[in-house]
Amino acid sequence: MEHATAVGRHGARRAPARIGVLGFLGELLLTGGVVVGLFVVWQLWWTGLAPAAEAREQVTRFYAHVEPAAPEVVEPDGLRTDDVPEVAQVGHGETLGVLIVPAWADKTQNRMPVVEGVTPDVLDRAFAGHYPDTAAPGQLGNFSVAGHRRSYGNNFLHVPDLEAGEAVVVETADTWFVYRVTGHEIVTPDRTDVVAPVPGKPGEEPDRRMLTMTTCHSLRYGAFGNDHRWIVHAELEGWLPRSAGTPDVVAEMEAP
Amino acid sequence: MWTWIFRHLPGPAAVRALLVLIVMVALVAALFVWVFPWVAEQWPGLVGRPDVAVSGTSSQG
Repeated sequence: MEHATAVGRHGARRAPARIGVLGFLGELLLTGGVVVGLFVVWQLWWTGLAPAAEAREQVTRFYAHVEPAAPEVVEPDGLRTDDVPEVAQVGHGETLGVLIVPAWADKTQNRMPVVEGVTPDVLDRAFAGHYPDTAAPGQLGNFSVAGHRRSYGNNFLHVPDLEAGEAVVVETADTWFVYRVTGHEIVTPDRTDVVAPVPGKPGEEPDRRMLTMTTCHSLRYGAFGNDHRWIVHAELEGWLPRSAGTPDVVAEMEAP
Repeated sequence: MWTWIFRHLPGPAAVRALLVLIVMVALVAALFVWVFPWVAEQWPGLVGRPDVAVSGTSSQG
């Protein structure tokens, strides 16, 4: 009896130390798990805050430096298709216009700065990055932009909304370029031919005025993965001097 | 770990709980502001870095 009690007491004295070590390890592992979880929170939420604000500011700055567009609403048949004006290429990191996606109104930013370059210093600021070697807006060839889908501002999050016929508008200092989506494709990240002057046919001479948007996509995880790219192609419907009016697809949206 | 910190902090339980909370918030802030951006830079693949079609050929990995 005495002996048993002694063992019992002995055990009782040792137990807290063992629980202490295990508890320490357990808390360490739990903390590690929480840190991994926080990393996901950081990536999906935190990384978007500052860039989204900066992108909005950049859009505001763009509009502050150009004449306001004429308010007259112009239907698609009022758009011009002749004498498409040239647009000067700009240097890396410079803003060449604003990308407007009416289908994304009230969802994510439907106006974002189009900035030259597709490196992280451009894309991670919630800009639409213009592939440097692709055509300027409205020109023959393939005006191509990239944007994040689910991080750094979620710019292109709702890319599946862009079904054939949806409008995508590029607004430069003087001109509206109205494109209509022709379709989309899902490709592996190495398929640079999607931004070729003739999409899918590198080396061919372009005879159409295309626009291409590229963003993340995963066959298994959708917007949360990065193993594929969601590619949207659109073709120029027409252009309009900003001094002559505002395309109806833009006028119907809320003011920025 | 947290139990150990809690046990070694001075003051009454309420004060110690508050201190642990402050330490936790500070740690999370440090992770968000310094550690995670650094991690993302070191291992580009971890964050689904470039959403661009040229990732396979560009230097951004």
